[in-house]
Amino acid sequence: MRDSASVQQRLGLTPGTPPILSLKSVSKYFPGVIANESVDLDVYPGEIHALLGENGAGKSTLMNIVTGIYKMDAGELIVDGRRRDFSSPTDAIEAGIGMVHQHFKLVRAFTVAENIHLGWPETPKRISRNSLETRTAQLATDLGLAVNPKAVVADLSTGEQQRVEILRVLARDAKLLILDEPTAVLTPQEARELFTALRAFTARGNAVIFISHKLEEVLEISDRITVLRNGEKVATEWTKDCTEKSLAQLMVGREIVLTETHKKSAIRVKAAPVLSLSDVSLKGEQDTVLKNISFDLYPGEILGIAGVAGNGQRELTYVISGLSQPSSGKIVLDGEDVTRAGARALAQKGIGHIPEDRLHSGMAPTLSITDNAVLREYGAPPLSRKGWFSPRGAANLAREIASIAEVMVPDFNMPARNLSGGNQQRLVARREMRIAERILIAAYPSRGLDVGAINTMMRYFLELRDSGVAVVLISEELEELLSFSDRIAVMFHGEIMGTCPTDKADAETIGLMMGGTRQEDLP
Amino acid sequence: MTSMRLQRMPLAPPRVAFALRVLSVVLAILTAALVLWGSGHNPLALGAKVISSTFGSSFGLEDLSLLFSPLIYCGLSVAVALRIGAWNIGAEGQFNFGALCATGVALFVSGPVWVILPLMGVAGMIGGALWILVPTLARAYADVSELITTLLMNFVAMLLVYWLATGPWLDPSGMALATTSRLPVSVPAFWGIVHWGLPIAILIAIALSLFVTYTRWGYEVRIAGANPGAARYAGMPVRTQLIGIMLLSGALAGLGGMMEVAGTVGRLQGGISNNYGYIGIMVAVLARAAPIGVLATAFFMAVLLNGGIVLQSQGLTTHTVLAVTGLILLYAAIGDEAAHYKILRTKAKDG
Repeated sequence: MRDSASVQQRLGLTPGTPPILSLKSVSKYFPGVIANESVDLDVYPGEIHALLGENGAGKSTLMNIVTGIYKMDAGELIVDGRRRDFSSPTDAIEAGIGMVHQHFKLVRAFTVAENIHLGWPETPKRISRNSLETRTAQLATDLGLAVNPKAVVADLSTGEQQRVEILRVLARDAKLLILDEPTAVLTPQEARELFTALRAFTARGNAVIFISHKLEEVLEISDRITVLRNGEKVATEWTKDCTEKSLAQLMVGREIVLTETHKKSAIRVKAAPVLSLSDVSLKGEQDTVLKNISFDLYPGEILGIAGVAGNGQRELTYVISGLSQPSSGKIVLDGEDVTRAGARALAQKGIGHIPEDRLHSGMAPTLSITDNAVLREYGAPPLSRKGWFSPRGAANLAREIASIAEVMVPDFNMPARNLSGGNQQRLVARREMRIAERILIAAYPSRGLDVGAINTMMRYFLELRDSGVAVVLISEELEELLSFSDRIAVMFHGEIMGTCPTDKADAETIGLMMGGTRQEDLP
Repeated sequence: MTSMRLQRMPLAPPRVAFALRVLSVVLAILTAALVLWGSGHNPLALGAKVISSTFGSSFGLEDLSLLFSPLIYCGLSVAVALRIGAWNIGAEGQFNFGALCATGVALFVSGPVWVILPLMGVAGMIGGALWILVPTLARAYADVSELITTLLMNFVAMLLVYWLATGPWLDPSGMALATTSRLPVSVPAFWGIVHWGLPIAILIAIALSLFVTYTRWGYEVRIAGANPGAARYAGMPVRTQLIGIMLLSGALAGLGGMMEVAGTVGRLQGGISNNYGYIGIMVAVLARAAPIGVLATAFFMAVLLNGGIVLQSQGLTTHTVLAVTGLILLYAAIGDEAAHYKILRTKAKDG
């Protein structure tokens, strides 16, 4: 690593400028887990510093230490040249460190102005609605973040809500802004606006720590990149010297082959659709969460569903897999009306479902790995005969699934929650692929997997597709959808904005549709 | 230099877990002994007295068995409900109401013993199931916590039994002041005063244990109890299972009530449930809801209860026993968690 003088010079600072934040040998242990081990990190004024690592690499723990949520077990934390030991998040805020979490901490029923002033010591004791809004408008202009102070948060788009959240943090005089996967909930256009705002913020001599696992955007936005693996710092590099490949290698710790090419499915035989949805709507507790969804799914294709998370993708998977019954519309599977068939019948008809929230809907985390592995096939021979259940048969099947899923299981009686997130995902994916004779619904299958494992899983999906199974792939990674799906449908507010073949799609038009522009209204 | 570190293991080794269970019991008894000693009693003499009067004679063992049996029924009742994630705090009430229904059959239906006794058993089970019906439906259809509703039903059942036993069903002969007349039929005894209620309870425990391991329904109940979301995902009829299991839970406690009134006591009287329903919760929790485990923990609780009766004759209150059971539960909970930990000796890095 270069000595610090050259770091400051390369950042355009006077030599000797102290870092805003400096971590020295920070360690944090949880029972049985080393969350962070001797992590060093310097963040200088004016830089956007990306923190990169797989799930479980220790990014969140490290940031929780910096923001005063956890206490470190060893090491030093230096803010603006002063050694600090935060005993609560309030201390960290006073020291000028603010964090925007992935899940916003806003009161949805309040206006923007009210949210900005909530729990802020500088809010005057007696204040009128008008002056709240004037103060907010002033802050917004000063900090260069356009918000409407009068708007109720629940009515704002996700991108706007994020801006409110950032404004709230910056209003408390943050010099260091920490963003946890800020683009996961944004359309590409909104992400670009965020990047502009971040650059303006650092240009004023502040710093940003940008947590992400998206290599592409990290390369675009950051000045320097620190990579964590297994709780330890692997490297801090200048972004200019990095490529996606070198970063992926640092993250995973071994050479990996990014799937560069992929053969599109063989020219589609003019087959009948395996699944047809016509005018399917679903009413939620308050509003309609799916509106007039219609599409055909053909055997041997991968249909990608793009969209910002929370725009009806989960509900769509529920309707197709029979977990929810549509309030109107019709679902036809191979010519048979299955609108009200239910989850069990659809699974038996060959629909596999890798759910979005595997730990809470796809598994019983407190039960054994065996019990979890046989969840789809427990009801049929050889596991069950005339109501009798064979624990031995279950154990055999569990071993079989674990071995093709390449999950090392020391003890099959161990509760499933003790498996790592990636192993759980692999196990569920393999379990579902076994029964997916016609359709596999995969909701965010790459979440929690490292780059190598994502590749393996995608290769399985391609194999399934080539064997004639239809795959519905839901993802928030446009890149993934563009390289693996044959067609892409875009969802927004419970509707499908448009569908197009992948070879005619580009990130720009898909981004516009993700933000609510209909395909027919595209420029 | 070596340093020591604790590491949490995903599974507790069974041998360690068992050893810590035993240790927790010993510690609880030692703690109680210490307090007794501090308050001027001789714990060793008291302990010897408890042991000799419980295990030293066939009378002691018979008394023990009579306590053992209702604890199995109530323990199984709570354990079965726990399997699907429901807390049946109302075994006490179901026990009472089952006893009440069985008594009704015995008092007002006449016929040969081999008809009346099974009929009483059925009435007891139906009574117990009826007593948990409202909490069950409220939980299944309106998501009302069964914890509160089953508990509240206890007081109703208890008062109902008091009222019947001292009012409408009071022994007309005038010989008893607060009980019904002696039931015309009783569960036959097979050893001294110990009746067939005990072996039947043990058989039920074994059957339930096979049921949870070797039937498809047992597997489904396991999944639904651990994560209803996953059960729905797999297309299991979660609500039907919940209703079925909770009614079974009530029926088991009701059958316990029938055995108590027709086997042990012989008459319906207020307080017939003797807190068995509440102690059943402890039995089930200590057994981790495993039916075979219930046999062990129910036996253990029976020994403690019997010890309490002996202590009472030595001038101590039953609260001593309650304190000991509380201590055991506390220590066992600590022990169960501690069993997951392993001590690692690591060489500290140089430098």
